[in-house]
Amino acid sequence: MADDQKPPSAGGPGDVPSGAGQGWTALSYLIAGMLVWGFIGWLVDRWLDTSGIATGIGIVLGMAGGIVLVIRKLGTPE
Amino acid sequence: MFGQVNVLAQGQANFPPSVEDFYLPSIAPWGAHNSYWFTKITFMVWLAVGILILFFLLSYRNPQLVPTKKQWFAESIYGFVRNNIAVDMIGHQGVRFAPYFTTLFCFVLLTNFFAIVPFFQISPNSHIAFPAFLAIISYLLFNYVGIKKHGFGKYFKNALIPPAPWYILPLLIPIEAFSTFLVRPFSLAVRLFANMFAGHMLLLVFTLGGFAMLNATALLAPVSVLSWVMTIALTFLEFLVICLQAYVFTVLTASYVQGALAEEH
Repeated sequence: MADDQKPPSAGGPGDVPSGAGQGWTALSYLIAGMLVWGFIGWLVDRWLDTSGIATGIGIVLGMAGGIVLVIRKLGTPE
Repeated sequence: MFGQVNVLAQGQANFPPSVEDFYLPSIAPWGAHNSYWFTKITFMVWLAVGILILFFLLSYRNPQLVPTKKQWFAESIYGFVRNNIAVDMIGHQGVRFAPYFTTLFCFVLLTNFFAIVPFFQISPNSHIAFPAFLAIISYLLFNYVGIKKHGFGKYFKNALIPPAPWYILPLLIPIEAFSTFLVRPFSLAVRLFANMFAGHMLLLVFTLGGFAMLNATALLAPVSVLSWVMTIALTFLEFLVICLQAYVFTVLTASYVQGALAEEH
């Protein structure tokens, strides 16, 4: 129909999800980072019988990873 | 209905509402306990499906160049989802997903909307099974679309390996896998479920709380009016949440499909 004429924007390399989608993506990376590496750290804690130090390191690592992902995937417009 | 008010006025409804209040008595067999094959919830889901099928069939049965009122309404809904969700998020090729997004949007909107329709007053989406199943469909859709476009290997390579130097990849790949393939369907389902659950709970608390105060002491009785005014205000808030959640669910599905279709990162 008449308004089908929008410039095609999909599939390009610099395509990032817009608006709300971008927000949810960033949030889910930050939380997922802490959860995944926190969980791995917790497993290491159980394995080595340490009391939570590996969990802490894991959560910090995961935070860093989450931030790297947000910057890499959402923060660099090409 | 007057029976219901009587029950409430005599204070027979339990005041702090609980999860039990979400499990309505069975319709067939009538009034049976612990039988959930056909309840009000089931009825509402089928009703929503029926209304949507009938509405779109009837409004498109005899399409006019100058649309009739019904046709105009159906076309505006479809146009809104196609232009503002499908094309906006995915781009030109998003048009082929517009029918699914429209169906999804209308179904979620209508089932959510039952939460504030008198006599229905509960949304099927306040039971996690329904949002969960919708999330599973969206999950299968975006994975299928991605695999079909890129092939199995390339799709997972695209999805799992972010643009980053090799030495931080081991840190990033588990996060990517977790957030793409586990968090997405889960958060999609939980977001819709929790919003509808909390909305119903709030309305229950303020409605039943009004009756509880009315029955408590003479001093508290006038405050119950305040509680019911709050119920009315919250109903409007609910309406906002209903529309917003239907929109968010559809937009996020579109955003996942877009992510699956995107070439490289």
